[in-house]
Amino acid sequence: MLDRIPLGARFLAPLLVLVGLVVAYPLGYSLWLSLTSRTITQRETEFVGLDQYTGLLSDGEFGTAMRNTLVFVVLAVTIELVLGLLLALALQRQERVRNLTRSFLLTPMFVTPIAVGLMFRFLLNQQLGAIPQLLDVFGITIDFFGSSLALITIVFIDVWQWTPFMVLLLLAGLESLPRQPFEAARIDGASTWMTFRRVTLPLLRPVIGIAVLLRALDAFKIFEYVFATTRGGPGDATITAQFEIYRTGFQFFRLAEAAAMAFVLVGIVLLLSIALYRLLMRQEPATR
Amino acid sequence: MQRWMALIAALLAVLALAACGGGDDEGTDTAAGTTEPAQVEGTVRVIMEEVPDTDVVEDMLPAFKKQYPNVDVEIEALPYDQMRDRIVSSFLASKPTYDLIIVDNPWMYDFAEGGFLEPLDDRIDATKGFDFEDYSAPLREIATVDGQVYGVPFYNYALALVYRKDLYDKAGLKPPTTLDELQQAAAKLTTDGRAGIAMQPQTGYKIFEEWANYLFAAGGSIQDDEGNVTLDSPEAREALQKYIDIYQESAPENSLNWAFDESIRAVSSDKAAQLLSYNWMLPTLNREAGDDRFAIAEVPGGKAVLGAWYWSIPANSANPDAAWSFISWLGSPEHERERVIAGGAPVRNSALDDEEVWQKGFGRDYYQTVKAALEDAEPLANGPNAEEMITVVGEELNAAVAGQKSVDQAITDAAKRAQETLDQ
Repeated sequence: MLDRIPLGARFLAPLLVLVGLVVAYPLGYSLWLSLTSRTITQRETEFVGLDQYTGLLSDGEFGTAMRNTLVFVVLAVTIELVLGLLLALALQRQERVRNLTRSFLLTPMFVTPIAVGLMFRFLLNQQLGAIPQLLDVFGITIDFFGSSLALITIVFIDVWQWTPFMVLLLLAGLESLPRQPFEAARIDGASTWMTFRRVTLPLLRPVIGIAVLLRALDAFKIFEYVFATTRGGPGDATITAQFEIYRTGFQFFRLAEAAAMAFVLVGIVLLLSIALYRLLMRQEPATR
Repeated sequence: MQRWMALIAALLAVLALAACGGGDDEGTDTAAGTTEPAQVEGTVRVIMEEVPDTDVVEDMLPAFKKQYPNVDVEIEALPYDQMRDRIVSSFLASKPTYDLIIVDNPWMYDFAEGGFLEPLDDRIDATKGFDFEDYSAPLREIATVDGQVYGVPFYNYALALVYRKDLYDKAGLKPPTTLDELQQAAAKLTTDGRAGIAMQPQTGYKIFEEWANYLFAAGGSIQDDEGNVTLDSPEAREALQKYIDIYQESAPENSLNWAFDESIRAVSSDKAAQLLSYNWMLPTLNREAGDDRFAIAEVPGGKAVLGAWYWSIPANSANPDAAWSFISWLGSPEHERERVIAGGAPVRNSALDDEEVWQKGFGRDYYQTVKAALEDAEPLANGPNAEEMITVVGEELNAAVAGQKSVDQAITDAAKRAQETLDQ
C-alpha cells in the first residue's frame, strides 16, 4: 500500500506532519477562535461567524493601532535602509580593524528588545537620563515621549537596534558583487555617484529587497518598545497593532476579538509583502 | 478500585474526626480550622510579585514550616507585568502551575465570576480566631463577589501623600488637606533642581490611580452603588483641570510617560519634593535616605484610592487544604503582627492599633495614618472588566494631559467608554 505513494511524497511526509503540527494547528485554532465569542472569563462559547471582523471595522482604537503601525514600519525601515547602506558602503572600504568595528557595530542586535526599551526609557528621561542632560549642555530640551514625538522616538529606538541587521545583509551583498562592472565603470571614467547610482544599486537590488522585506515583517511585530516606554500613550499616539492585540486578548480577556485582529494584521502584512516583493524583485531588463 | 476509594474515604473521615477531638492545643488559633497542622501535607506552589512584601513572607517560611512540618511552600516571585498572564494560563491548564495565588483588586471580580477561584467562607468560618471583621470594610468588599468571599487580604497599597518633611518644615508648610493647598505647596517647593511634586501621568492604570485621588478630593466619584459610571461630572472636570495645572506648574519637565518607577526615583534622588504613592514606600525611602526625612499624610481630601492584594485559592488548585493552612497561618492576627513588624504592609486593624507594632515598626503616626486611609478608601473599579475600564479611562485622562483633548471632551469620552466597557 505504501508503494502506491510516490517516493517523493513519502520523503516529504514527516516534514508535512511537523509543519501541520507546529504551524497549521495553532493557525487553524486561532482562525476558529476568531469566529467565536470566546473570552477567558466566560466559559460558554458560541459561533458568531464574521461578527468579530465586522466589529473591528467600527473599532476606532484598532484603526489607530494599524495606522500607527504602518507609520512606524515605513519610517523605521526607510531610515534603517539608508543608514544601513551608508554604513555598509563605508565598512566595505575600511582596511584596518575590520572585524573589531563590525562586531562592535552589531552589538545592539544581540540585546533583548524589552531590555532595549527599558534602557531608552531611562536614558531619555528628562530628570534621570543621560541623553537629555547631554542635550541640556547645548540648551536643547526635547520632549521625547510627548504627543508629537513619542512615535518617532520609538522609531529611533528601532533604528538603533536594527540598523546593524541591515548593515550585515547589505555588506554581505556588497562583498559578493562581481568586480568587473566596477572596473569597467572606472575605466569609463564614471564618478563615484554615477557608479553607485548605475552599478552598485541595480546589482544590489535583490539583496536590498530581501533586507527590506525581512525588516518590514519584523517591524510589524513592534511591541516591546511600546510596552517598555509609553504603554501606548500619550493618549493613543503609540498604540501599535501587536500592543492592541496583547491588550485585548490578555489584559481584557477577549481572545476571539484578539484573534480576529491578528488575522486582519496577517492579511495586511501578506498583501504588503507580496506588493513589496513584486516591486523590488522585478527584473530590470536593461541591467542584465 | 471502588473499594479502595471507599477505604480511603473512610480513613479520611476517621482522621478528620480525630482532628476535631484533639485540636485544642498547639496552633489552634492559626491552624486550618479542624485539622491538626501535622496532618496537613503537600506542596503549595505560590505565585507572588517581586516586591519587598514578598521578601517579608519568604523570611517567615521557616516559622511556618515549624508548625506545619509536612507542608512545603514554594514561592515564585515575578514582575507584576507577567503575573496575570501566568495566573490565567494556570487557571486554564489541565494541570495547574499554582496552588495558591495572590490577586490584585481589579482582577478579583472577573476571576471569581469566571469560576476560577474557590469560595473561602466555609474555611474562614471553620478557622478559630481568624477574625475576618478585623479587616477594614473597603478591604472586605473587594474580596466579596455576589455575597461570597474569594480572597483574604494580604497587603494594602492604598495611596497616601509621601512628602519630604524637612522641606515642608523649612518652607513653613503643613501637609495639604485640599487640592488647592496641594497645588500651592507643590508650587512653593519647586526650585531649579527639584520639582515640587513627581507625578505618574502614564496612560492607563497609572494616571487613573493617581488622578482618582484628585477626583475624590474634588467630591467626585467613579461608580455609584449600582455600579453605574458617574465620571461625567463637574467635579471630575475640576479634578482633571487641577491635575493638569499641577503637572504643568510643578511636575518634572517632560514627564508625560512617567510611571511609578520614575517618580519614586525622582523623589528618592532629591529631584522631587513629594508624590502620591503607595504608603508602604515610606520605610523604603527613609531607609535609603538614612534618616526620617520622608513622612506620609492622607491624600488631600482624605479619601484615597485603595489597592490591595489578596490570597486566593484557584478552583483547580492541586492542594487547596495546604494552601489554606498557609493563608490562615500567615493571615492570623498573631502572624499579621509579626509580618507588619518585619516591614510588611498592614491589613488588619488589630495590627495597626498594636503598640508593639508602633514601637518596633515605624511609629504610631504611620500606622494610624494608614488605618485612617483604609477606612474610607475606594478601589478604582469594582465589577466586570475592571482592568479594561481602568485602561480606557486612563487613556482619556492622559490624552487631556498631553493636550490632545480638552478636559471637557476627555471626561465625556472617559465616562462613555467606561460605561460601554462595564456593559459588555
